[in-house]
Formats: sequence, C-alpha cells, structure tokens
Amino acid sequence: MRALIGAIRLQLQIVVADRGYLNEILTNPFFAVIFLGVVRAAGRRDLTTFAIVAPVLMTLWALSLEISGNVVSADRGVGILELVVATPTRFQTVVFGRVLAVTLLGTVGVVETWLVARIGFGVEVSVHHPGVLAGALAATALAMTGTALVMAGAFVLAGGARTFQNTMNYPIYLLAGVLVPISYLPGWLRPMSRLIFLSWSADLLRDSLQPEPAQDVLRRLSAVLLLGAGGFLIGSIILRLVLHRVRHLGTIGQE
Amino acid sequence: MGGPWSGPAVVVEDLVRTFQPKKRPEVVALQGVSLRVDEGEVHGLLGPNGAGKTTLVKILATILLPTSGSATVLGRDVAAEATSVRPLIGIVLGGDRGLYNRLTARQNLRYWAALHKLEPGAGRRRVDALLERMGLTKRADDRVQTYSRGMRQRLHLARALMHDPPVLFLDEPTTGLDPLAARELRAIVGELAGERRTIFLTTHDMAEAEALCQRVTLIDRGRILATETPRALSEMLSRYERVECDGATDEVVADLSALRGVSSVSALGLSTRIEVDSDGVVPEVMRRLVAAGVTSVRVTRPTLEEVYLDLVGRRGMDV
Repeated sequence: MRALIGAIRLQLQIVVADRGYLNEILTNPFFAVIFLGVVRAAGRRDLTTFAIVAPVLMTLWALSLEISGNVVSADRGVGILELVVATPTRFQTVVFGRVLAVTLLGTVGVVETWLVARIGFGVEVSVHHPGVLAGALAATALAMTGTALVMAGAFVLAGGARTFQNTMNYPIYLLAGVLVPISYLPGWLRPMSRLIFLSWSADLLRDSLQPEPAQDVLRRLSAVLLLGAGGFLIGSIILRLVLHRVRHLGTIGQE
Repeated sequence: MGGPWSGPAVVVEDLVRTFQPKKRPEVVALQGVSLRVDEGEVHGLLGPNGAGKTTLVKILATILLPTSGSATVLGRDVAAEATSVRPLIGIVLGGDRGLYNRLTARQNLRYWAALHKLEPGAGRRRVDALLERMGLTKRADDRVQTYSRGMRQRLHLARALMHDPPVLFLDEPTTGLDPLAARELRAIVGELAGERRTIFLTTHDMAEAEALCQRVTLIDRGRILATETPRALSEMLSRYERVECDGATDEVVADLSALRGVSSVSALGLSTRIEVDSDGVVPEVMRRLVAAGVTSVRVTRPTLEEVYLDLVGRRGMDV
C-alpha cells in the first residue's frame, strides 16, 4: 500500500510539473460539443445521455491507456525502469498507482461535459442518482486502471503497441455501447459487449442521469469491478512475463 | 544492516551472459566469470569499455538474468531469489539517467522511499537525513534538471542508500565528474566503506580503485584476468621495477643500456628512467649508478594503471 500511495503521489507531482499528461482532458469538451451537436441536429433528445457520457468514458479510456504506455516508455527512456524492477515493489503496483492517479484526475471530464451541455447547448443535466454516479465513476476508474496494465505489458515488449492501441479505441467504444446504444449493434455482437466493462459503466452512468430508479446497481457495479479485476490479473501476468523476458533478453534498459 | 548471513557477500560462479542483437552475431558479454566479495569489503571491478562490468553489476542487481552460471548476494541467488535479494542491495548506475528531472530531489527520494516500503514518517526522516549527508539539503526542493552532474551523482547515491542496504553496487559513479566532484563522491564512498557495507565498484579510474578498494578484479572481454589487492597486483609486475635517477651521464646511460636485463633507458625530464625486465637486475643497476657517483636514485613500483595496461593491453581503453 505504501508503494501504491508513493506511485500515486509521484504521478500527481509529475502531472503538476508536466501538464502535457492531461491533454486528453482538454480534448473532452470538444467531443462533448460534437456528440451533443449531432444529437441535437438529429432531433434525438432521447440520446442526450449518450452524448454526455460518451466523452467522459472516452477521456478516461484514452487517458488510462496513454499513461500506461507513458509510464513504461518514459521510465525506460530515462533509465528508471531498470532501477524500479530492482526494488522490492512489483512493477505492476507502480503502473497501477500511476495510472490510477491520472484516471481519477480524468473524472473531471464529468464537470467539463456538464458545463458544455449547460453553457453550449442549454441542456440542463440533472444527476438524479449521485451515489450511482460516484460509484460508477470510482469503479470505472479502477477497472480502467486494471485494464491499462495489459497495455503496459505490450509497451515493454513492442514498439508498435501505441498504433495498436489507437486502432482499437473506436471499435471498443462502439462495442461497449459508449457512442451508440448496444441495441443498434448486430445481434451476434451484443453478447460480446457485456464482456467489456465499459458497457456496464456506460449504462450505470447514463442511469444516474435518468429520473427513473436505477436497477441492479450493485450487480452492475460488481460487473465493472470484476471485469476490471480480470484485466488487472491478466495485465499483471503479462507484465510479469514481459519483464522476465526483457531481463532475459537484456533489453530492459532500451527505449 | 547486515543479516544472519556469515559467508561472502557476493559469490559469482562461472557466470555467462550473452546477448543476441537483431540481425547481428551473438555478443558474449561475460565468459565464465567467477569471483567472491567478502562482507564489508570494497571490491573494485576494473576494465575497459565493453569488458562486461555493467553487465555483471546488472545481473548482481537482479536487473538482468544470467545465461548460465550462478551468482548470490548474501547467500540469495540473484535469479531464483531476486525478490529476497532486492531489499539487500542499493544500485548506482553510471551516467545521468535514473532520475525524474522535472521533479525535485526530495520528490524523487520520497518515491524511492515508498518503493522500498518505508513507513511515511520514517521515509521523510530518511530522505531528510540522506539529503543532509549528501550535502543537498539547501537544493532539496529544486528541480533535478538544475543540478550539476556531481549533485546528481550524490542524489543517486542517496537513492541507493534509501533502505540502508548492506550491499552497494556502484557502476562507474565518478565517470564524467569534475575532479572536485569526483573527490567528494570518493570521500562519501570511503565513509560508506567505514560503515562495514560491502561495496562493489566498477571503474575506469586506477587511482580510484587504488584509493578505495581492498581488492581489485581486472576484467576484459568478459573474462577475469586477476583478482588481487592493489598492492599485490603491483607486485605481479615487480620484475618490471624501474630505477629513476638524477644526474646520470651519457656514459652511465650507455653502460646501463648494455646491461643484460635492462629493457630501456629513457629521459624523464631531468631524470633518467631505467626499465628492467628480469628478476635481480635492479640491485646491479643501483650498484653501477652509485659506483658512477649518482646519488639521487630511487626504485619505483608500477602503478595499478600500468599493471592493468600490461594485463589488458592497450586495446580501446578510455583510461
């Protein structure tokens, strides 16, 4: 836990020293403008919650994967990765803490989107279930961070991981129902959506903005956390195997 | 610091490490290296660029895995028991790398305190104490990117000492430092040695090895050439002892040049240096000098650098 807190603190200090880490947060309002504009132009006020939730989740997703890659490549580039792996702390803990710090900062996207909707489009967004919103954001941040470990492992091993990550972003958003309702997807794809924690997160976040009572909140929060934990587990194993491999290959200190 | 272990601090047996660069032939960095470092010893590893020094340090520090052979630190195998080795070691790798330049020294050290799982209060106190010890307290809250090279190296040493490890691996810690900064760092290493820490030091610098190390291992092309005390290494070349004198006439120079066992007679400023290459020649040289009325005569031993150059040859060294 001390190492985890140390990693979170370090990342917050790095963000203060180098605000470039938060570029994704700055792009969030632009996505909000695009999605709210499309919904309004199409006359689909029923999809307003999609237009509000989508930029938030896209920001969190992009931010967590971006930082997971940066943690590895930047530490490797300046010779810190070698020193970190020679400490008693598992590298997974370091990556988890540092990604979590930035992902939690990314939840400020909720406020950004709320402001864009209110000021730019005159849309009054009411949070009818603040507990569900807070729980969904926290669970999502944790699940994002866990899943980001998978990418961190890929970044140690392959220089082309960034391209792969960028290629995969939009298919994931579509599959998870972040951009459009899952019901619009072909029937055979829909079961796969439920394997992506983002689909559960998106539903919960949208439900927190609806006046109707949110159903099965605990079960759905558990789904987010369980899928995130699965990502963390897989990511941890990958990272451990990858670190063993680069210690064997002797490429741990190479950029 | 020390644990219940009572054997050698570092044992390396028949260690081999190869690298396979892409589309290039395999590189053998270490070819069956064996050595022992006693607890509390300052042991120098001396070798030219590419000799395998850094590779050996990285294996001992659990950063790299050996291809074959074994190595232990305080009885723990660096490959199979890496997690139990890590709390016992501190590492300083050469060069400017290894720090977050946009953060302050204090922020950097607090991070390493956390990675070594120091309780927050103890971590803060340890950071303060190390900053003080390294003479960095006044600049502790300045970004590392504003530090001189010497200050960075001291910060590296503070990082390595964060968890008070009994074994330190220092990979060319004074490389690139100005003479004053190098002297300051050597003084700190000397203090650490006085605390009965085991220090494994790689260096190019002969004077550094002679000043700091109880024993020195010479390595070249991944092979150990010799492990001895600096003095014993000098004595290995005792048959190459030389005599220096002042005021030798041309006649004396000619006489000595013709003497069997004298390899060269050369001017050394106002002095003359007579090099020998056989045992027992020095007394005869001395006798002839004194007989010729030369009274300012001295016998000198080769420096560790000369021993090193003799053993390694003059292949691509930056010494």
